[in-house]
Amino acid sequence: MTYEVPRLFPTTVVGSYPKLGNATELIKKRERGEIGEEEFHTKVRASIDEVVKDYIDAGIDILSDGEQSREDMVVYFAQRLKGYGKGDWVRIFDNVYFRKPIIKERLERAGEMIVTDWKYAESVAGGRQVKLIITGPYTMLEWSFDLFYKDREELIMDFAKIIREEVLEGIKAGARYVQVDEPALSTRPWKEEAYLLKEALKYIFNGIDAKKIIHICYGRLERILPYILDYPVDQFDLEFKNSNFRLLPYLKEYGFSKELGYGVVDVHTLQVETVDEIVEAVERLMKLDLIGPEKVYLDPDCGLKRLPRDVAKEKLSNISKAATSLRKRYG
Amino acid sequence: MLWGSVLGGYPRSGYVRHEMRDAERGDSAFLFHEAAIALASASVIGTQVASGMRYATDGMIDFHDIFRPFARSWRNVSIDGLIRYFDNNFFYRIPVFNGEPDPARFVWASRVKAFKSISSPIGMKVVIPGPLSFLLMGKNESGLKERELGYSIAKAISLEAKAAEKAGAAVMQIDEPILSDQEINDDLGDLEVELLSIISSSIRLPTILSIYFDVPRKEIYEKIINAKVDYISLDVADSPRRAMELINAKGFGDKRPVLGLIDARRIHDDNYDKIKDMARSVAKNHEEVGITTTTWFDTIPYSFAIRKTQLLGIYLERLGNDLKLEVINPITEVR
Ligand SMILES: [Zn+2]
Repeated sequence: MTYEVPRLFPTTVVGSYPKLGNATELIKKRERGEIGEEEFHTKVRASIDEVVKDYIDAGIDILSDGEQSREDMVVYFAQRLKGYGKGDWVRIFDNVYFRKPIIKERLERAGEMIVTDWKYAESVAGGRQVKLIITGPYTMLEWSFDLFYKDREELIMDFAKIIREEVLEGIKAGARYVQVDEPALSTRPWKEEAYLLKEALKYIFNGIDAKKIIHICYGRLERILPYILDYPVDQFDLEFKNSNFRLLPYLKEYGFSKELGYGVVDVHTLQVETVDEIVEAVERLMKLDLIGPEKVYLDPDCGLKRLPRDVAKEKLSNISKAATSLRKRYG
Repeated sequence: MLWGSVLGGYPRSGYVRHEMRDAERGDSAFLFHEAAIALASASVIGTQVASGMRYATDGMIDFHDIFRPFARSWRNVSIDGLIRYFDNNFFYRIPVFNGEPDPARFVWASRVKAFKSISSPIGMKVVIPGPLSFLLMGKNESGLKERELGYSIAKAISLEAKAAEKAGAAVMQIDEPILSDQEINDDLGDLEVELLSIISSSIRLPTILSIYFDVPRKEIYEKIINAKVDYISLDVADSPRRAMELINAKGFGDKRPVLGLIDARRIHDDNYDKIKDMARSVAKNHEEVGITTTTWFDTIPYSFAIRKTQLLGIYLERLGNDLKLEVINPITEVR
């Protein structure tokens, strides 16, 4: 089965989806050692099935596995890499905590981490492409504690090596879209931070034959935009809706010319954006006359994992309806 | 002359976390809950005393974020949804001003009374969020203009400060993390100087203006060093290059410096030689230098916060020896 991605305004997702079926329970069981890694990934397939079904129902073109195996975007990898200790409790808000991973030895990849789920999602995607999505080196570094390296350049390059190996394995399995998630970058919007990540991305993506995407969200991205636009990626996938499209004039100012993953629905509000609202948001972008409709991918601001399933699905469905009407107008 | 003090709050130990969770579920008697917090506070005070600090904080163990207890104790202030606290993976609840804030009860007075005898001979440091951080990180639904609300927040803080002074506090620290925001404009910088003056004029205690997570823009810093406070405390270790550039260019005016040299957001032991170089370059221009942690400890685990407190004490003593400076330590004066 093949599925042709529309030439104009393809629709996609950032990655995570609400946990469906017994994904949450399975994650806990695996953490408690009640099931092994293999059994875990086999059993989580039922959840991936549900996610993919929702995506296809909603009319999304380029999918993800919904990150059903990942309780947290850093902890998931920390639990699977050699060199991490168990982690220790730090507060997120009020009296709510998470176990922040601690790097205790040199990091090494123990084995494949995301390819099994990707393969499965791809096998049930009805010919649609599925993004291979991995947490980026800068976010892994910033959101872990480090007791071993004490040198950020050395540490980020070790993450880059691990991520590259994983990406290569995904590509060998057939992945055509590779996305690196870097939400931590916009929280520290300094030139030197942007350059630190650039070196790592160069290493990761060197010679990679696939669509290379970086996802960044929230924070003060406009402050580092001029330093990241030459990252070795094909596409920037960015949050716009939540910050009321504040970034748009900056894209114009800095002459943005790559593909854009355009975040048109807010993942932090239960209110579902209407089709008209989404169309209007896209027209705002098109009026800037920066990039053509074949370079604009429509998607949510960020992962959908915190939304109720019906809200998440409705948001996606409206994105897809908006894309259909936009294709008529711009086709 | 050197002295040390931990900048702000401590994380909760496992015992306190569980006790607070039980209390939230209604599974704990009020008295027992209060006792648990008091014991945990006494414990972190003891750590600071034993580490040779000049001032101690009570650890603010029960503060859910820097604004919360004030938002809860002041009339016309409520709290709203969660929002990211600077570049931390930590979220605070937005204080919402529905009118002029007016303390229904004081957050600090009773704490100071309770803990000053435990910390003795070391004085208690009271930490209050500054008026600009409150104003800009909160939501204004009061109908007041930004400036008017800023003034009324400063007045409410003054009342808190006065009550804390009367209760026996030794020093007042005003936390203004928002000043590290690069988007603070000149008008807000001017407003901040006025607001700080309202607070410091209302008390005789020494005042520390503390700025963390980064250093302010040069233009804002130039204004701030003229504010009516005794000390300016900067986060140096988070971005040493930017911080030292600012210090070398602008100094501290007639204010006494406090340097955040122990990294409170990362868990590895800090590099002593780097700290020594930075402390030396500031100490050569100032008679008195305070050494502190970069920020509050609440984004690292409890055991590491204790370790960092010990490190602050150890490094302070080494700095005294290496730089040939006297270290103020109330414990040795008693001895
Ligand atoms: Zn995101």
